[in-house]
Order: sequence, then C-alpha cells, then structure tokens
Amino acid sequence: MQMLSDVYYQTMRDLRSRFRMPVWIFLSLFQPIIWLLLFTQIFQSLSQLPQLGTVSYLQFFAPGVVVMTVIFGSAWAGMSMLQDMDMGILSKMLATPVTRPSIIIGRVISAMVMLVIQAILIFIIAVIMGVRLATGVPGVLLSIVIISLLGLGLAALSNGLALLLRRQEPLIAAINFIALPSVFLSSAMMPAQLLPEWLNTLRHFNPVDYAVVGVRGLVLQGYVWSDLGTSLLVLLAWSAAGITFGALMFRSKAE
Amino acid sequence: MNIIQAKALSKVFAGDIKAVDTIDFEVGEGEIFGFLGPNGAGKTTTIKILNTLLKPTSGTAIVAGFDVVKSPADVRKSIGYVAQDIGVDEHATGRENLTLYGHFYRLDNKTIMQRVKEIFELVDLIGYEDKMVSSYSGGMRKRLDIAMGLIHQPKIIFLDEPTVGLDPQTRVHIWDYIRKLAKSMNVTIFLTTHYMEEADQLADRVSIIDLGKIITSGTPDELKRSIGGDVVTLSPCTIKTEECQEFLRRTKSVLSNKPFIVGMQEADTTLAVYVQNGESAAPNIMRILNSEGIEVQTLSVSRPSLNDVFLKYTGRNIRPQEGAPTTYTQVARRRSRRQ
Repeated sequence: MQMLSDVYYQTMRDLRSRFRMPVWIFLSLFQPIIWLLLFTQIFQSLSQLPQLGTVSYLQFFAPGVVVMTVIFGSAWAGMSMLQDMDMGILSKMLATPVTRPSIIIGRVISAMVMLVIQAILIFIIAVIMGVRLATGVPGVLLSIVIISLLGLGLAALSNGLALLLRRQEPLIAAINFIALPSVFLSSAMMPAQLLPEWLNTLRHFNPVDYAVVGVRGLVLQGYVWSDLGTSLLVLLAWSAAGITFGALMFRSKAE
Repeated sequence: MNIIQAKALSKVFAGDIKAVDTIDFEVGEGEIFGFLGPNGAGKTTTIKILNTLLKPTSGTAIVAGFDVVKSPADVRKSIGYVAQDIGVDEHATGRENLTLYGHFYRLDNKTIMQRVKEIFELVDLIGYEDKMVSSYSGGMRKRLDIAMGLIHQPKIIFLDEPTVGLDPQTRVHIWDYIRKLAKSMNVTIFLTTHYMEEADQLADRVSIIDLGKIITSGTPDELKRSIGGDVVTLSPCTIKTEECQEFLRRTKSVLSNKPFIVGMQEADTTLAVYVQNGESAAPNIMRILNSEGIEVQTLSVSRPSLNDVFLKYTGRNIRPQEGAPTTYTQVARRRSRRQ
C-alpha cells in the first residue's frame, strides 16, 4: 500500500515537472510528426519496391516512428535521476521512509505516460495522412501495450545507467550509443527482406525489432498471433531485465 | 537520556581511507549538539551513518532508540535530514516540496496542510508557499530545505553544514531559525560545521573532530576554559618562509618555561601563546622578545575561541589559510566523501 502511494506521488512529481516545460512538451509531440513527414519524403521512392507490395512507405514506416519515439523518449529517462543526484534531492529522499523502488518506478511510469500520449498522437496523424490501420482501435491499444513494455525496460535501463555512470557526459554518450543503432539494427526503416544478411540475423537479438514487428503486424496485416505472442514474450522479458538492472543499480549505488 | 549513542563507530572507504575512526559520543535529548572540524574531518560521513545513508564498517549507533543498521526504517521515521547540498526541487513550489515529504512520512492530507502552514510561519516564508523555488534566494532555499526536514515533527534533526555557502547576514538569520526551532519544536539538533563561531553560537555541547577522530568534547565554555586565560597571537610574517619558521622556533625557545605562560602552539605563520592574563602578559612578551632581538610584526590579545582549542590539539587552524599545504590524506578523504 505504502509502495503504491509512494509510486503515485513520485510519478506525479515527475509528470508535474515535465508538464511545467511547455517547450519540451511541444517539441516532444512535434518531433514524431517531423519524422513521419521527413522520412516518408526521403524514402518516397522506396514505395516502388516490389518487397513492399501494395503498401505505401508511409504505411510501412508509421509503426517504425511509433517505436523510434518510444526509444528516444524512454532512453533519456535517466537524466532526471542524475539531476536529482547532483542537486542532493536523491539523498534527501533516501533519508525518509519512502519505499526505495518507488523512486525508480515513479520515474519510469511518468516516462510511460508521455510515451502513450505521443504514440496515440502519432497514430492519429498517421491516419490523417492516409494510413489504414488493419486492426483499428483495439490494435492501437495492443500496440500501446507492446511499446510500453519496450519503453519500460529502456527507461529502467537508462535510470540504472545514470546510477552506474553518475555523470552527464558518459550517460549521454551511452544513450546515444544505444538509441540510434538499436533503430538501425531493426526493421523499423527497411523491410527485413532488404536488410543485409548479417543485419537480418542480428535484429532477432534486438528487443526493438520485436516491438516493430508487433506493431507493424497490427497496422498492416491484422492479428498474426504467432508474431504477436513472440513479441509480447520477448518484450516482457526485456522489461523485466531492465527493471532488474535498474533496481540492482539503485540498491548498490544510491548511497 | 541519550537520544543518540555511538560506540566505536568506524567507516573505512575503498583505498583504506578511514573517514571515521573508532569514535564514541552521545547526544542528550533536546540538546543542540555540534560536530566541529575542518573539511574532510569525517563529519558528513558520521551524519550519513546516523541517517542510514551509509553503513558503518564497524561499531554501533543507536538513534532515537533504534539501531541504524538493524532497523533503518524506524530510524528514518524519527529523524529529519538537512544535507549540505540544498536538496529542494527547483521546478516545484515551496508547498509542493513540503507536501511531497509529508506524503513520504505517511502523514494524512489534513495534517500536512496544517503543518505546512505552521512550518512556513516558523521559517518565515509566508507569502512564498506557492512561488516556484527557482525564484527563491539562497537563504530562502535553505530555510525551505530545513523546513522539509521538520514536516513530520522528528525527534532529531540533522543539519550538515547548515550555513555553508551563505553570506554572513543570511548565516546569522539561519542561526536564529535553528535556535527558534530547538525551542519551539523541542527537537534534538545534531549539527556539523567547520565554522567555529557557528558551533560556539548554537551548540550546547561540542565534539571537535579531526582526521576521523574525536579530539575533545564539552560545552563551548568548558573547551575554551581548558585553554586557560587568554591567547596572545604573535606573527612575524604573512607568508610561510624559512625565515618565518626560524622566527617561530626562536620565539618559542625564548618564551619557554616563563612562569606566566601556560602553553604555546604554532601554526603556519603564527604562534599562539596561552597566558593567564593577556593584557599584562602582552607587554611582558614584547619586552622579552625585544631584549633577544626578535622583532614581531603583529601581536593580538584575545579570549580563546574554539579555533584555539582545535589549534591546541592539532597544531592547525580549523580553516587552513590560503596556500597552506594540505596533507595528502585530507585530499584523499575529501575525494572519498564524494563517491
């Protein structure tokens, strides 16, 4: 019970400070729209590829943008932990009876709330731009479950890295090291059949790809339960791993 | 009754750095207890052990009746911690900061609302409750910081260097709040500082700590009295040179075993001479030195301060002067504190 109440107040605190930065909110919401517009323009000619069949590149790429937004949104979640450490807020909190896991969980949930809002917005804009969602609103909801699992693991990992690295510069470098390559090492931008052999193999070890495949299936094809099942299982394991890492780092480093 | 009891408490950091070295002390209920010592003496480490933020390497500490290692959760409920860094959230209002901590201490909404009102009054921040902390001045932030440690009416409040980085005027203000707090909330205060005036002004009892060990303890008056009478401070120069050292050596030998001198202690560029009566001793000292051909640049007579107490036991000033050499262990200690 105490845990729930602590998580609630931690989440609200984090959300409150996020929403007090209107510029940040505006850019966070606007960024995916730019990606959607820009990438579909750049890769317009890919629409003629036989591998895409009758699907437009926009239709193909929209799920990729949703996943990219999740990655960039949650990978930076550790920055605010770092700030709290630097300002002495963390150690002050640790001297209170507050339940320890709530400090990480609250932040991760707050990051999730932002991601869900962004994802819904991208879906709406994609539909306006002409994307047809094969599974409609239930598919969107299931997509949100998929990307939340991905984001959960990544946000927890980022918080764990913040506690491990303790400084901004290495954390920023670590996040950059992970975020963009994890997009390229998946089928987010290119149909899997067009990826070089080694990349096509490697993507099966990348949780991001499972989110892309899951969401893309829901958008383009419908309920392909075998794919969806795999995606959900892998991402569940991924988020559990991320949270375990975050919790371990918190226990050993938050002194 | 002792509300804090530390026995043979030690903390050794990686690299065999003994930040706290087998210290014993106790703090009585309702006392303002001061931990006075230079930077890197082990004050913050001690406070963090008492606050459950660090585990001691050995020894025990009982805080408010609970063992800090065995029942940290109970300790946390009984204490308020005001760290050296001002740990307030700039992107929230004063009220939001305080309320959040109220929830962490499991207070209900009604109690929180009432306490917030009382506490803002106590720390004189009425009218600023709903302003963003980013618009607060340094002194206001510190007051809010202290207030956040009070919301649950703790039995003990820990203040780690409460006035470090504040201008002298604000410092005096914060001292007033601390005194007011001790009186109106009946709380025990454990305070660390490297400002001797702060310990002198605020503390009922002081322990002087250096290099991880407690050197001496007592009321500020007791400690100062232990110096015996007055302090005559002599100085031949302002920068530490060979010549200066030579002067100090010669002066010391000339003045040794003069009956009116109780003791002597040299530090950097000064020689402190402890005497029963400063006013009559000063001209005496001058005469003796002149007859030996020793020239003094400056001479001052003062009542003993806690710095003199520190000096007497360690041969150093609490706050080393600019350019004074720092020993390697001190630097290592400081680094270890940040990890």
